[in-house]
Amino acid sequence: MNRNRQGVIAPHEDAREILGVAPNAGDEEIRAAYLRKVKENPPDRSPELFERIRDAYELLRDPRRRALHMLLSADPNAPLVSLLPAHTQERRFTGPGPWLAVLREK
Amino acid sequence: MSQEEEVRALLARGKTKPAVELAKQIHKRCPTPAAEALLVDAYVGRIRSLLGLGLTMEAKALLALVRERYRSAKEKLLDIGVVVASSQGSLDELLAPLNDPAIPEERRIAIEAAIKRQVTDLSALAQCAALAPDHPLRVGAAALGRVFEAVTSGAVTGEALHLPEVSHRGPLAPWKMLVRALGCFYRRDDVACEQCLQAIDPDSVPARLVPVMRAMLAQRPVEHFRPASAALVAQVGGDLETLRNTLESFDAALARDAQSKIFPEIQRAISVCSAVCPELVDRLRQHIAMHAVRLNLPPRRVQAALGSPSIKNAHFWHLFARTVESSSEPSSVLACCLWEEFRRHAVAEGWFREDGSEAGALYLHMAELMQEVPREELAGLRRSFAANFRGFGHYYEDQPPAMRAVAAKYGTSDHYFLFPDQLFERACAIDPHREAFEQWLDWAREESDWKAADRVCAIWRRALPNDSQPLLYLMGSAESRGALDKAFGFLEHAERCDALNPEVRRAALRLLVAKAIRHLRQRKPHLAEQEVTALEALPQAQEADRPAFVAGLRWTCCMIRGDSEAVSGLFSQVSRMLESPAAAVLTCGGTAEACGLARDEIGRYLPEKNRTDSLASAVARACALGEDVGVAFSIPPGWESEILKELSEKPGKLEVRPLLALGEAALLRDRRELAYAASGAGLAKGGDTEGRFLLLRARALPEWEFERRADCLAAAAELGRRCRDMDLVDEAVELQRGRAGRRLGFPDWLDSMSGPAFSMSSEELNRVLKREKQSPKFPVYNWAPDRVPFDREAFCEDQEDELDIEQGMLDEFARLVLELERAPGKRKRPKKARRDFPSQGELF
Repeated sequence: MNRNRQGVIAPHEDAREILGVAPNAGDEEIRAAYLRKVKENPPDRSPELFERIRDAYELLRDPRRRALHMLLSADPNAPLVSLLPAHTQERRFTGPGPWLAVLREK
Repeated sequence: MSQEEEVRALLARGKTKPAVELAKQIHKRCPTPAAEALLVDAYVGRIRSLLGLGLTMEAKALLALVRERYRSAKEKLLDIGVVVASSQGSLDELLAPLNDPAIPEERRIAIEAAIKRQVTDLSALAQCAALAPDHPLRVGAAALGRVFEAVTSGAVTGEALHLPEVSHRGPLAPWKMLVRALGCFYRRDDVACEQCLQAIDPDSVPARLVPVMRAMLAQRPVEHFRPASAALVAQVGGDLETLRNTLESFDAALARDAQSKIFPEIQRAISVCSAVCPELVDRLRQHIAMHAVRLNLPPRRVQAALGSPSIKNAHFWHLFARTVESSSEPSSVLACCLWEEFRRHAVAEGWFREDGSEAGALYLHMAELMQEVPREELAGLRRSFAANFRGFGHYYEDQPPAMRAVAAKYGTSDHYFLFPDQLFERACAIDPHREAFEQWLDWAREESDWKAADRVCAIWRRALPNDSQPLLYLMGSAESRGALDKAFGFLEHAERCDALNPEVRRAALRLLVAKAIRHLRQRKPHLAEQEVTALEALPQAQEADRPAFVAGLRWTCCMIRGDSEAVSGLFSQVSRMLESPAAAVLTCGGTAEACGLARDEIGRYLPEKNRTDSLASAVARACALGEDVGVAFSIPPGWESEILKELSEKPGKLEVRPLLALGEAALLRDRRELAYAASGAGLAKGGDTEGRFLLLRARALPEWEFERRADCLAAAAELGRRCRDMDLVDEAVELQRGRAGRRLGFPDWLDSMSGPAFSMSSEELNRVLKREKQSPKFPVYNWAPDRVPFDREAFCEDQEDELDIEQGMLDEFARLVLELERAPGKRKRPKKARRDFPSQGELF
């Protein structure tokens, strides 16, 4: 692995959250999540996010590094605001109701 | 302001009733078309207002009245007619004319424009009985309704958004772009989403969603949005901005440790988080609890502010363990307790398997933590722990059954995590790899019983049979106990799995030498000669000066047998090989001395030293040979002054390796002055090896020169880094930290007085190099009081203190320093403070 790029993911960041995989995700799930994320965020469109996704995958694909990262990723002294998704806000499905309410609001 | 403007202003402010009254008066006074248009506009505003209040019947009645009274405004009332009709679920009346094939073009365009601008209820349009079931508007609206519901309820494919039923030019085209924008939005294809939003007709119903969606794309706050828009943003993305602001404010209070503000902030954060992001509340509680632990906040107040206790799941214990680890006084025992609790929950929650690589990494981490506890305290600590620790049962009192079940599953009696040996064993059993075994072996080697380390190597050998490292260790261990046959057995295995390993090759040579020496010590030259013959057959024994050493061994055999002729011949052979009778004297004498022969006896067989030799070169070459084969040759005392003289007169004559070997040999016999001179000669040569000679210089310096020693070590480490000589860096760092320094008798506290410096600027490095090169004389301590190497200014910061410290006290202090340096025995490096057992107190 290119060590120069190791700094893209901060030590307290959870690589699993970047890929959107569960803590117990196996190798195949991690790879599938990586491919999905790369498709959603190709390097020409969002290069920074792409780098983070790639680094997160490189970290998680090695079981020993993955294990160590899992242990040391929790930072209890991190600001509480870091609990919020840093780069991408969640987009929840709500059904048509709230959307139609805006259309009827005029 | 004219009265007409007044009517418009009232409408803009939502005052529709007075606007209608005023417009009526204007129209009554002056019944012009303009006044009528103004009045119709006021009525339209009023109808909208009634609809907004949910008074659809009243709105419909008023619309009918206005239509009847002001027939000229029929077209103008079309839009509001659509709104009223769709609010009642029926567009029949308005859309019926579209069934007429002869409908005037203007009329059709007007109705379609009204649909585009006003229809918000796609189902009403899809079910409009006034239109034929296969009318494009009905079909399109039905398809759009389905897709709109699907795209806002879950992931949809791109094909589902294709919508061929909806014309690009029809009144529903903006809806088509809207559902496509929504699809892109949920796929996080923000660029495509923005392109779709741009394609939406700004004069259409779907355009009302464009600002809201753009705000969500840009994650902008929703301050100026109307209630439905704000609610949509909150529901789709959660009003994360509000939560973010709340948490930032909380973080600021935590950073200031402002306790009066922290408790209200806890309540506010939990409240806002519960409203906008309820799935985050549990985790937020856990993190707040950890901050409370860190700041030592009153637990009851924190618990009250949190509302309910945090969930004690794997994440909680993970955080708790990390909190303890990162505290200013980390407790290894407490941290290991918490890691064990985490392990149990993590396994139960499926984070990893009981025998997964994560568990292996965790055991290894716990073992590293327990290594921080002084070894001599471990036994007492375990007893005390077993007597006092009651488990974490009280943490689970308010917990869900799943959490309690995990706690109940495991007892509190298994305190394996207080035994580094057991932790290493578990780690290596789960994930056997070299680094883990190396760590375990390092730990076991410190045990008083050699069997501990041998056991580790035996397990290592079983787990990784192709690894030669455990075999080499077992071989060395057997060798050190004199079990040479056993050592040879291990060597054979090592040769089978890693014959090219230089260490294995060296070991073969070393073991044969050791066996020969043992036989010679037992005065069994006939057996020793067998080993010498075997040595001669070894390819590695033919390298460099090694044949001279083998000849030296044979010389010793002949000496023991009393074969003077052979002794003389072999001495000449060694002299020729080493190109120096003096080197031969040292080699043969040193070999015989290693075989336990007395100096007097040896002296009878050795010629006088040839005065024409370069003694320094000869000694250096012989010392290098001795170091190579693992036999330390001692330099005869009478030779030292001559070597010193030669080194000072011709410092550049010797090569690097012999010089280093000479320095090592001198240090081995505590001849620091000679080692110092060797380092000086090496430094004078310059080049890439300056770091090595600085390290030698540091080791040769007398104890009281600890500052100079630290400079040399830091400079050596820096040069090692620049030359990528990591062995040099490691050695210098170890010495600087005082670990390896203990071998040289440096007190630990001297090593750590000013904190180890491992990096150096080029300027500092050059200064140290220049100083050492310009200091050819071995420093001698002068007991005169004015030579006490302490800065009086540093000790006497003010005049008053200065009066209290007498010169005699400084002298006494200097003596104390030297005494401490000379004190025999090991001093343990102070370990991290040990805190009490896990808190049994209040909970979060």
